[in-house]
Amino acid sequence: MNILELNDITKDYGSVKALKNVDMTLSNGEWLAIMGPSGSGKTTMMNIVGCMDKPTSGTVMLDGTNISEVSAKNLTNIRRDKIGLIFQQFHLIGYLTALENIMVAQYYHSMPDEGEALKALERVGLRERAKHLPSQLSGGEQQRVCIARALINYPMLILADEPTGNLDETNEQIVMDIFRQLHRDGSSIIVVTHDPEIAEEAERTVVLEHGKVTRNTKNAVAGSRGGDEKNV
Amino acid sequence: MKRQTMYMRMITGSLLRRRSRMFIALLAVAIGATILSGLVTVYYDIPRQMGQEFRSYGANLILVPSGEEGAFDAAAIEGAMRSVPADDIVGVAPYRYETGKINEQPFLLAGADLAEVRKTSPYWFVSGEWPDADGSALIGQEVADMIRLVPGDRFTLTGTDTAGENFSGDFTVSGVVQTGGDEEGFVFLSSADLDGLMGDGGRIDVVECSISASSDELTDIAARIGEDAPGVSPRLVKRVTESEGAVLTKLKALVWLVTAVVLLLTMITVATTMMAVVAERRREIGLRKALGASDRSIAREFLGEGALLGGCGGLLGSGLGFAFAQLVSMQVFGRPISFQPVLIPATMLASVAITAVACLLPVRSATTVDPAIVLRGE
Repeated sequence: MNILELNDITKDYGSVKALKNVDMTLSNGEWLAIMGPSGSGKTTMMNIVGCMDKPTSGTVMLDGTNISEVSAKNLTNIRRDKIGLIFQQFHLIGYLTALENIMVAQYYHSMPDEGEALKALERVGLRERAKHLPSQLSGGEQQRVCIARALINYPMLILADEPTGNLDETNEQIVMDIFRQLHRDGSSIIVVTHDPEIAEEAERTVVLEHGKVTRNTKNAVAGSRGGDEKNV
Repeated sequence: MKRQTMYMRMITGSLLRRRSRMFIALLAVAIGATILSGLVTVYYDIPRQMGQEFRSYGANLILVPSGEEGAFDAAAIEGAMRSVPADDIVGVAPYRYETGKINEQPFLLAGADLAEVRKTSPYWFVSGEWPDADGSALIGQEVADMIRLVPGDRFTLTGTDTAGENFSGDFTVSGVVQTGGDEEGFVFLSSADLDGLMGDGGRIDVVECSISASSDELTDIAARIGEDAPGVSPRLVKRVTESEGAVLTKLKALVWLVTAVVLLLTMITVATTMMAVVAERRREIGLRKALGASDRSIAREFLGEGALLGGCGGLLGSGLGFAFAQLVSMQVFGRPISFQPVLIPATMLASVAITAVACLLPVRSATTVDPAIVLRGE
């Protein structure tokens, strides 16, 4: 069953066409990679799928709701309830601890629960770093906190924008292990990446060029590369 | 954990862990609150301070007889003074005026309760001593110059008493008074001495009163005396009461003007700082929105930070404001100021309100931040 369907999506910024007649689907529990050079429309697509922007034309069905037609307020509600966002630059709030950064997502979603937030940190191996500020964490640890924050409200779809783009190889492996585990647990994931090796981890790769989907292929072996046995 | 607890954790975390930026805003609020609290303290204390200050410029209410006899007695004065709150009476000096001669030179004699005169006319400059016993006299500078008397000299007063008989009495000059006015041509005796020379007692020509009250209060007091005390006609000393009123009005207007300017500057400083805070936290605001924060949530958080800032600045300012008011009072009036506890919550509330108003524009700017900036990597 598809949880996401993009039908004939076009997005114009004045005279610039960022997306041109894009069709794309994501089934429940699928891991999809989106690749493409800079300016190909990856970010625009992420914005639309992440309920932060609306297409100029076409329909976006997320869990049965046409999000291209809902109001800005409802779009915020859908984003809060259904999407978990992971960023290349982590975007942790600098003056809040790792634990509080996770609880912020709970605060906007429903009710802050310190116990749940600690469990989420434990899941990414950072329980003992709960009281640390982001400036006291390494890049890899910050990204793991970002992942824990994205997962805390049990989102239907995890959107990750270059999740390993700012990490060294060791931390990249740790983060990818978490993604593999999430995939095994049945999470639906979209990862935007420049890195073909990261894209190969996904079940399917969509390539965007000049705002158009130029390739949409299934990968041979998904979520089974090195380190996948590690329980995170 | 309750949402409210998390809310407080977020706004206190923002203020406490970003000290350098917020210190500037706190400083602006505290300075504004200090000036506000200080000036309001001074504002409410000015009438009291000015009242005391103006009491040193002499009587502000004169009582004269309204009947045809041209004089009244102590009972009439006592009746009139019942209309004045006892705590407000600084001094009441009844005078009896007669004429007499020293060395065949005619002079005006004033018989008065000289202890009360000292209270109603503290600006008199006396060389020597104020008379403290019968047989002592205070003479004006003009009299002293004319007949070459200095403190300690003895002189003889002669004249005609009420019955038409000649009188004569010896007195000692206890002091020479300079006032810059008509008083320098008078010889001041105690009421008892003058009554003794004139052969009768209890006659009073005029009463000078020094009352600690504002111009309006004094007008009310005069009106009450006029109604309640038969035979007594109250008259305000306009050069004193009107000067006091005019100075007070101007001072109060100045205080309000300075307060308004300071509050405006505080508001501008806080608004500018908060605008800078919003600009530097655009990503954070975008992130919060990306996590599902509504515009209302963002506004509530920034207003909460502003209110907390205002409360802390107000608390700090109310303490510093009292110190500031005390300094002003000591420098200008030379007297300590009275502490008004109600100014602490009032200053805090005013600071919170000013900060909240100053935050409106920055908050509006914050709510317009596009959550997509977290993905664009701006």
